[in-house]
Amino acid sequence: MAVSLVTVDRPETGQRGGRVDAVWDWVQVLSGLGLALFLALHTLLTASVLLGASVLNAVAGALEAVHLDTLAHWIVPVLFLVHFAAAARKVPFRVREQRALWAQARMLRHADTWAWIFQAASGMAVLLLGVMHMWTTINAGAIEAAASAARVQSGGWVVLYLLLAPLGQAHAVIGVYRAGVKWGFIQDACRAQAVRLGLYVLAGGLVLSLAALVRYATL
Amino acid sequence: MARTLTFHIFRYNPQDPDSTPHMQDFVLEETANMTLFIALNRLREEQDPGLMFDFCCRAGICGSCGMVVNGRPRLACQTKTKDLPETITLLPLPVFKLIGDLCVDTGTWFREMYTRTESWIHTSQPFDPAKEEARMDNAVAEAIYEMERCIECGCCIAACSTARMRPDFLGAAGLARIARFAVDPRDERTDKDYFELIGNDFGVFGCMGLLACEDVCPKNLPLQNQLGFLRRKMGITAVKQLLGR
Ligand code: HEM
Ligand code: SF4
Ligand code: SF4
Ligand code: FES
Repeated sequence: MAVSLVTVDRPETGQRGGRVDAVWDWVQVLSGLGLALFLALHTLLTASVLLGASVLNAVAGALEAVHLDTLAHWIVPVLFLVHFAAAARKVPFRVREQRALWAQARMLRHADTWAWIFQAASGMAVLLLGVMHMWTTINAGAIEAAASAARVQSGGWVVLYLLLAPLGQAHAVIGVYRAGVKWGFIQDACRAQAVRLGLYVLAGGLVLSLAALVRYATL
Repeated sequence: MARTLTFHIFRYNPQDPDSTPHMQDFVLEETANMTLFIALNRLREEQDPGLMFDFCCRAGICGSCGMVVNGRPRLACQTKTKDLPETITLLPLPVFKLIGDLCVDTGTWFREMYTRTESWIHTSQPFDPAKEEARMDNAVAEAIYEMERCIECGCCIAACSTARMRPDFLGAAGLARIARFAVDPRDERTDKDYFELIGNDFGVFGCMGLLACEDVCPKNLPLQNQLGFLRRKMGITAVKQLLGR
């Protein structure tokens, strides 16, 4: 039998040289940032309806002319799944871990720790809601204001969007902040500013997407 | 006017089969310049000689008095009661092995961490006691000293959710230890060698960037910056290795 079948229990040194872990960490941050970039563009595209249905149709038409929509229809679901696979390695699925994390957060009352719990939970919610949303829109074909308005006005979808938009945006903003901290781009001296900037971006994104939803509901 | 302080203190003696974990209340008159060190010693002298807690230097140097004060890990000897509300909750540091009440064993944890990080200068230079010490740039010496200021109180480990969920996570103190040797020109280890020690989920890639370590470290070590620095360094090392360089 091959040596590779043996797992050596070596607690005093932990596991050595985990190149796999490093690759997953790169995958996590790059897929997360890619999704965040996509979400920012997506928010702007949907919000263009605020300037009128014709504007949105024109923007969408321009994107479709260069097949950016088809590209997004392939890349985004792949990024989504890959990001989930990478992030799931850090999400506490076991009850023992969840208890420890919950006890820790309630003991510390520390904003960044709560933000991480929110991120793990919102990530799971975004996974479910996002898959439903992507499934319908990708199958629906062309992006049109009238089609989106019909979906929003059909009732059930508006509930989904009211959950998905804020959860997705908050997850993305916290995620970008965390990526900045983890990789050392946000240093201690500018942490407070980064938090403030993130909150402004989040507020702006929420206002845009909620206003767009109202516009779709009344279109 | 002197306040009357109420202490909720965690009590449990794992050695005693009849003991169960519970909170016990103590009441004490506040005095001028009272620290938790003074308060706990008075409680032990005047109210319960069996109360277990650790102190040594009472000057923020030895790192033995770390405990959770109203939810945050900190040094009891450096905590003035006047900065706290009238009700003070004291818990032992989580993650570490409980000796009893507020007393935990940080020593075993740090000993293991030092073994795992191989916390000594790795050099092939023979030691010559007669020779003058090699000179070092002042800025480098200061960068090393910045990390050497760690007093091993364990607060950053106790505050870290990752460490609490995963007992084999090296934690901020352990990773900062590596950062200390990484800037030391006398240590001949390369990024590849460090990668073998911390380039995994038990090391730097396990850190989720919650920054509780940064926010509680009583010696204000630049943990956030060092963790980011190490992640970039180790991330780049992994890419280089994959590209075969
Ligand atoms: C499939 C559903 C998703 C799940 C389960 C999920 C989960 C997570 C979790 C738990 C983290 C934190 C990981 C850590 O700190 O180690 C994270 C990070 C991140 N997520 Fe998501 N997420 C999902 C979807 C998304 C989406 C749709 C976006 C973008 C809009 C996004 C953007 C990010 C970013 C930028 C990060 C930071 C990357 C890092 O810290 O390395 N995620 N995600
Ligand atoms: S940044 Fe967070 S996860 Fe990383 S060591 Fe500090 S407390 Fe732990
Ligand atoms: S890094 Fe700070 S909090 Fe952690 S053990 Fe050292 S002195 Fe204590
Ligand atoms: S008693 Fe030494 S650090 Fe508090």
